Amino acid sequence: MDITLIVDFFPKLISYLHITLLILVAAVAIGLVIGVVIALIRIYKVPGFNQLALIYISFMRGTPILIQLFLIYFGLPTLLALVHIDVSRANPLLFVAITYGLSCGASFAEIIRGAVNGVEKGQTEAAYSIGMNEKQMMVRIILPQALVMAFPNFANSVIGSLKDTSLAFTIGVMDMVGRGNTLIASSLHALEVYITLSIIYYGVVICLEKGFSLSEKKLQRFEGSLAVDTK
Amino acid sequence: MQIDIPFIFTALTEIFKALPLTMIITLVPLMIGFLIGIGITLIRIRKVKGIYRLANFYVSFLRGTPALMHIMLIYLGLPLLIDKMAETFHWSIQSTSIPILLFVLMALSLTAGAYMSEIIRAGILAVDQGQLEAAESIGMTGFQAMRRIVFPQAIAISLPNLCNIFIGFLHTSSIAFIVSQKELTGAANIVASNNLKFLEAYIAAALIYWGLTIISEKVTALLEKRVTVYNRGGVA
Repeated sequence: MDITLIVDFFPKLISYLHITLLILVAAVAIGLVIGVVIALIRIYKVPGFNQLALIYISFMRGTPILIQLFLIYFGLPTLLALVHIDVSRANPLLFVAITYGLSCGASFAEIIRGAVNGVEKGQTEAAYSIGMNEKQMMVRIILPQALVMAFPNFANSVIGSLKDTSLAFTIGVMDMVGRGNTLIASSLHALEVYITLSIIYYGVVICLEKGFSLSEKKLQRFEGSLAVDTK
Repeated sequence: MQIDIPFIFTALTEIFKALPLTMIITLVPLMIGFLIGIGITLIRIRKVKGIYRLANFYVSFLRGTPALMHIMLIYLGLPLLIDKMAETFHWSIQSTSIPILLFVLMALSLTAGAYMSEIIRAGILAVDQGQLEAAESIGMTGFQAMRRIVFPQAIAISLPNLCNIFIGFLHTSSIAFIVSQKELTGAANIVASNNLKFLEAYIAAALIYWGLTIISEKVTALLEKRVTVYNRGGVA
């Protein structure tokens, strides 16, 4: 083992960090949209769609991300070929973003639903009693409180997704791990590459954790204090 | 390309044969991880000097890096270490004679240990302080109180989390295919490339994982009813 190689590999690998982060950001963005829609379907128990949402969440929770990745990578071109869209030459990044987005969507949906159900019933009643309609009640009263409650779980889920992105290389994406594999092929120093990758992942996770805990404090600055100052 | 539905069933029976290996890669690390987890938790709760920081770093580092990294670090690093040791101490073992499975199990045990310690810690801290005081007031030693009073309740509280970590590790075991283990995903990969029917093989694998997850959720729900019997309140 050669420690100096780690120093040598570090800049080479970190220059691909933006691909990893791009996958993460795309996944979280797609996941948020899907998550909110699915959560609303589950909360309002929209007939028909509710069962579909249940199956979707159960499937995403019930299968490894690696299998989901392969299913999308091999399945989506087949599916789109039926409507005569050819994606066989598309960038594998696209498939990765869709897979991780779908996966995030399922976990976000459950997190949002849990948080909305966690808001006290009196809040809804109070909103109605001052004459708000259902949409106002949801947007102004319930969702802001639910988001604060959902935030820690949301943060955990995002960090989990970051770690999952390390598997994207299996379908040939050139992210950090993908670049690491080409480095291994050219230098034959696999251990050093993986040590470097671990250090980078650990650093990113620590940064994310710090960032999330700061935003959590900021979000929760209204929590726990009394609505009316009794002093 | 069309989907060959009958082939999914063929693949299903073929891939299903790999279930024992997936179960080994899931359960062995969880069991070893449970022991590591208890050790780490005790170190962290009692704040044992010196190793306390090390335990914190262990948990934080393994929770902060992907499981793929742990497998690769152990799989690539440990053989170097073993060969070096064998050379210095004139042992007659060679790293090449050690099956890869053993490295995977070791790596995932370390991963499991870190996640388990967080679950066990949360469980122990959730047990009411009064329980410990009551145990001591009737003359139990610290060890007795821990083993007979705190621990059983902590496990009951942790059950949903333990189920989650089981499902998590069932899915993590799929990474072992990257170091050419023939567990469910590895078997699916072989069936897929032998027959050039990738989608069908992975659908079959997905169905097996999905079924296993649903079964373990149901079993947990039943277990939870049993272990929380003491906590139901009211008159029996």
